[in-house]
Amino acid sequence: MVGSEEEFERISDKMIKESDADEIEIRIIKSDTALTRYANSQIHQNIGQEDVDISIRAVFGKKTGAASTNSLEKSSVMDCLSKAETIAKNQKSDPDFKGLPEPKKGKKAREHYVEDTAKFTPEERADKVKEIIQMARDEGVDRVYGAFQTEVQNLFVANSHGVKRFSKFTSANLTTTAIADWDNDQGFGWSESCSSDVKDIDHMQVGRTAVEKGLNNLNTKKIDLGEYDVVLEPLAVQSILMYMDMMGFSAKKVQEERSFMKGKFGEQIMDDRVNIYDDISDPDMIGYPFDYEGVPKEKVEIIKDGIANKVVYDSYTAGREEDKESTGHALPMPNPMSPLAMNLLMDTGDYSQEEMIEETDKGILVTRFNYCRPVHPVKGILTGLTRDGTWLIENGEIKHPLNNLRFTQNLIEAFNNIEGIGEERKLFAMGFYPAYFAAPALKISDFNFTGTTEF
Amino acid sequence: MKDLVEFGINELEKKDIQYGDFRLSEINTEVINVKNGTVEAIKSSESKGYGIRIIDGGWGFASSADLTESGIEETIKRARKIARASSKASDPIELKEVEIHQDSYTTPYKKDPFKVELEEKMDYLMEVNERMDIDERIKVRKCNFNAWKTKKFFASTEGAKIEQELLKTGGGLDVNVSDGEDTQKRSYPNSFGGDFNSRGYEFFENLELLEHAEETAQEGVDLLDAEQCPEGEMDIILNTNQLALQVHESCGHPTELDRALGTEASYAGTSFMTPEKLGELQYGSDIVNIVSDPTAEGGLGTFGYDDEGVRARKIDLIKDGIFVGYQASREGATKVGVDVSSSMRADGWKNLPLVRMTNINLEPGDWSKDEIVEETDKGIIFDGIKSWSIDDKRLNFQFGTEAGYLVENGEVTKLIKNPTYTGITYDFWRNCDAIAGEDEWKLHGVPNCGKGEPPQTMQVGHGCAPSRFKDIRVGVGKW
Repeated sequence: MVGSEEEFERISDKMIKESDADEIEIRIIKSDTALTRYANSQIHQNIGQEDVDISIRAVFGKKTGAASTNSLEKSSVMDCLSKAETIAKNQKSDPDFKGLPEPKKGKKAREHYVEDTAKFTPEERADKVKEIIQMARDEGVDRVYGAFQTEVQNLFVANSHGVKRFSKFTSANLTTTAIADWDNDQGFGWSESCSSDVKDIDHMQVGRTAVEKGLNNLNTKKIDLGEYDVVLEPLAVQSILMYMDMMGFSAKKVQEERSFMKGKFGEQIMDDRVNIYDDISDPDMIGYPFDYEGVPKEKVEIIKDGIANKVVYDSYTAGREEDKESTGHALPMPNPMSPLAMNLLMDTGDYSQEEMIEETDKGILVTRFNYCRPVHPVKGILTGLTRDGTWLIENGEIKHPLNNLRFTQNLIEAFNNIEGIGEERKLFAMGFYPAYFAAPALKISDFNFTGTTEF
Repeated sequence: MKDLVEFGINELEKKDIQYGDFRLSEINTEVINVKNGTVEAIKSSESKGYGIRIIDGGWGFASSADLTESGIEETIKRARKIARASSKASDPIELKEVEIHQDSYTTPYKKDPFKVELEEKMDYLMEVNERMDIDERIKVRKCNFNAWKTKKFFASTEGAKIEQELLKTGGGLDVNVSDGEDTQKRSYPNSFGGDFNSRGYEFFENLELLEHAEETAQEGVDLLDAEQCPEGEMDIILNTNQLALQVHESCGHPTELDRALGTEASYAGTSFMTPEKLGELQYGSDIVNIVSDPTAEGGLGTFGYDDEGVRARKIDLIKDGIFVGYQASREGATKVGVDVSSSMRADGWKNLPLVRMTNINLEPGDWSKDEIVEETDKGIIFDGIKSWSIDDKRLNFQFGTEAGYLVENGEVTKLIKNPTYTGITYDFWRNCDAIAGEDEWKLHGVPNCGKGEPPQTMQVGHGCAPSRFKDIRVGVGKW
């Protein structure tokens, strides 16, 4: 694999020395991803990818320019530097740009790098997948699908103010969908597991849960549309958190009046048991301890006891307000999505999922959601469908599986209608940037289902 | 670059493998974003590397940016090791026989966007941005320019040698408006950063952003005071920017053969259009004809050859309302006994080719939009993508657009906000009773189609003309 921490440091030192710019930032991302996909109980895609991206941000006064290359060749790197400088010189001044971040001391971060994950082989992935396939067959399910991914992510950031940081971490993620076939009917089930340590992935448990759900999901029935109590498993809650994050938790969205948090700070906007925060130091979390500008990630308590409390900042959005500092949530800049909470957690409560079901007279159990999209981001309205296991709950028991349902729901209202929070939470990889969210199960009343589908 | 391709394919040919291909790309991009009178971002990027596919008992794929001979040797070794691991749980793989090509292709264009002075592009966008600054309720006004140039080399152990240079250009503008109570968004010519084509800078110039800046901003402001979309069932008319996404989600994705065969079941989902329905399913009304056409002039999904070396070709997906064809890879085509469609495309050099849309086009009809409106008693015209969601078999969908226009007794009467509509794919297309003609047919570019694990983003095209759908549920949810 091309590139090492020492090589990155040498490249960045040279560029900082040779640059004519007033300020300069060098960001190097190196990734090594391995993934085995399986479908119809066969391995159909199996890949290994490695790449390195060197991005340079050059600054002249309040003018910035950026360029990137994936070649570590001296000529390519110097050409990249020259491009960034040329762009910056031709740029217009941005009065809101207050400069690249100064070095800032962060808390000592826990290492999320596990050698076993980094060295996990295609043979080992294939063996685990084969065992899942065999177990499913033994249970009468001939079609399982999913992916087993391991990756190593490296991030190096340095700038001309003296910021110089390197971090790497590993992650392993296994997903399984089971499709049970019986008499022209199909039952869908899902499970997944994520950790920085591949040894934590209990592949047989993931497979068994998916198979069990699939077998229990045969003979689905339709249900009248309307408002129901719902028990959302952690993965379904994670989807909601992800959209809350994108619709509301960033300083940029607030500054541009595009966040449901705008004008609500200090107000009780959700049930008082709701605590949502971004915290890389939480033992359940994995990722880089600093952001893509090299600023250490602070814990940001976004929703505190149901109150709209804070949002996340990068150096640019912090510079647009009085007495604000970056909280360490910059994406690779320039980036219209930045800042973004990338290590989001929701506090657990005291309910087991079984208790949530037992205390439900009539409701719906949801494994996960599919294709959620904001309908009105500032009102917090989201639509999406249930997927891979939806059941009717009646009189405290699971009655029968349901056809998948479409919801169109105001999320803020939903988080005001929380009746119970699960006592455990699960970690999920988000699939974009290295972002990870940890969510518990939730019981919510009056969740609005507006459509149904045919399976 | 060619030397490395020669080296790579020679190395692959020495191995005792069923099949191998070597795809090397060099990708250059340029983006300029202007926001609220400031150039928010200018970025130039380049990426070079190669991907190697091998069949050796199973599929193996490895990619790397290490452009040395030893790097290529290592990557071949890795791909082969992965293929051998796949063989632990893989049936024999058979690729459909195709014509083997040694050829080259270049996107036809007039003006290279990378050779236009940065300052010229930036100044133009600044002027567009200023033109949008017409009301204090406009909180965010953005406009952008994007260009992509890809040089690609493909060689296979079957003897294919293909060189391509693909160029894509586009841009757009949008505003976010707020009066403290409500917020709305309006864009031109579409969401997702505008519109994009496989053409040169002339395409960006022809978008006429400057001429549309003020009216787009004004309509954004007008939406704040517009009436809420009514609830109920009525006829709807989709303008081409929204219809392009309707075609994408409800015909493009479900006719991808890999989805129909289940290979995306755990991520993007499957399809209700399964092989036994081929030639049987009444997908739409008999005026509905949809094709996959990577040869369409200027389409964002236009090229000479796909990433399996198959020459671009047009195929029918829906003919006279009947489901007749799939977008298929060489492997998938063998399994189902259909033709390959030249649809295998990879996001950059790093990723594995997947069945991806090219240009999925709804063929023109024989109405005009004016005639459609005149013959509509009560309906809504939907314009500008805002929200989109569909189930994992591509049946139940719900879309929302930036603006709606109420039609009453054959006339457009008022602007409405937060318009949404929902339906089941085949019911919806069976209710298509009017499609405008060639004069109003437009080929849009959608630059952000996601699929696969790790996630890949693909640029695809959709041609269509304004069309009407009868008795559709509108105004979903509580407001």
